[in-house]
Amino acid sequence: MTATHGTVLEVRDVHKAYGRHRVLNGAGLEVRPGQLVAVVGENGSGKSTLLRILAGTLAADRGEVRLTGTLGYCPQEPVVNDNLTVDQHLRYFAAAHRLTSLRRADELVELLRFGQFKHRAAGALSGGTRQKLNLTLALLHDPDVLLLDEPYQGFDWETYLRFWDVVGDLRARSRAIVIITHLVIEQDRFDILADLADGRLTIRVATAKDPDVRH
Amino acid sequence: MSVTDLTQRPRAAPRPAAYRQFPTAWRFALRNQSRNRLAALLLVAFVPTWYLLMQAITGHKPLTFRLYATGQVLTVNSGHLTLISAGLNSVTMIVGFAIFAAIRRTLAFDKRLVSAGYRQATLIAAKACSIAVIASAVALYTAVVLLAFWRAGAGGWLAIWAGFTVMALTYGAFGLLLGVLVKGDLEGFFLIVMGGLMDTFLQNPLGNPLAGRPILEWFPSFGPMQFATGGVFSHQALWGHLVLGLAWAAAFAVSGLIIFQIRTRTRRHTA
Repeated sequence: MTATHGTVLEVRDVHKAYGRHRVLNGAGLEVRPGQLVAVVGENGSGKSTLLRILAGTLAADRGEVRLTGTLGYCPQEPVVNDNLTVDQHLRYFAAAHRLTSLRRADELVELLRFGQFKHRAAGALSGGTRQKLNLTLALLHDPDVLLLDEPYQGFDWETYLRFWDVVGDLRARSRAIVIITHLVIEQDRFDILADLADGRLTIRVATAKDPDVRH
Repeated sequence: MSVTDLTQRPRAAPRPAAYRQFPTAWRFALRNQSRNRLAALLLVAFVPTWYLLMQAITGHKPLTFRLYATGQVLTVNSGHLTLISAGLNSVTMIVGFAIFAAIRRTLAFDKRLVSAGYRQATLIAAKACSIAVIASAVALYTAVVLLAFWRAGAGGWLAIWAGFTVMALTYGAFGLLLGVLVKGDLEGFFLIVMGGLMDTFLQNPLGNPLAGRPILEWFPSFGPMQFATGGVFSHQALWGHLVLGLAWAAAFAVSGLIIFQIRTRTRRHTA
């Protein structure tokens, strides 16, 4: 089976239970190039479980996830190595993605303004700077689909605004972005708001930007 | 094709080389595993202190025992035999602790690297190589410090060094296995310290009158201890016993790396 025409990420009837506790119960979502999607849910609603299944780090019990193109995943808690510097992280992930240059990495470091910490070990960085590094690692290879789990936790206001500049740039280049959050402050920014409740995703708002949105 | 043709044809720009996975992983694994300040402090301070303390407790009385590997009855300086046990014990704790801490704390990071496209086999090979380098370095240091307490002669010292190296490799691999298996730091440290103490001191006939019992053959330090004592006291190279120690190291390493492979795997969703 191939993804529906025009979608880069297609989630169908995904189920996941931990023992008797059913977390996802037929969740479904379609995301197209350039779309910005928020998956919103209360604490414990299964948001991170869904994102881990989409990222491939957790197996679903049932259902299908189809991805077209490359994927970038930014976990909620920064997954970095405290003994390595920012620059070493960039080189490590450049090797993971088999990149030939760090041009994109340098751009992101510049955009998020943490170049002065390039030679500092991750263990000595502030929470906000660790989160910037966490985000940069997910974006290093300029993925077609970006999954972000509570990405702006720990950002100050200026960094929060810069984060949206980065998102705007990605969307302008037809990259799809799925943000998982327990709280949406600025709903207008999103094309789709999908509520995760009782293990299912329900579209709450689909803005006029794309009236043909389905789930 | 003439020379002119060759010069006139526009040349394709050379494709820049991608960041290579093995050298990068090897360099950073080595850096990560050697950045443990507590392990470094243990190495510098604990090794000489432990030698000094153990020798002071034991004294230099003659001790007669039967070397299990050859059946030969030997009378040796009990202080010298205890120095071998103390050295073996030091490397079990320092290498086991350093590798366990480094592996356990970076498991999620390694999973992220694999998820981003790192080949698991490459990461595994890099980790195995860096463990071997660190274990060998710690064993060499421990054997060199021993010279301040006992000049055993070149052949004897080489046998002790080889025994220390195999012991360090074994506990490095044990640290790797615990690092991917155990959830908490405390459980891992406890298993390494208690395992290393029991393993090495049960092999010493001074501390354990039953050191010649067959059951001790099944302990990881049996092979290295027999090789070191056989080499230094009866001037024999018991290669089979050194290989037995390496087999323990290989068994721990393979088990740990298989579990590492399972715990870092990711699923790819492709249309």
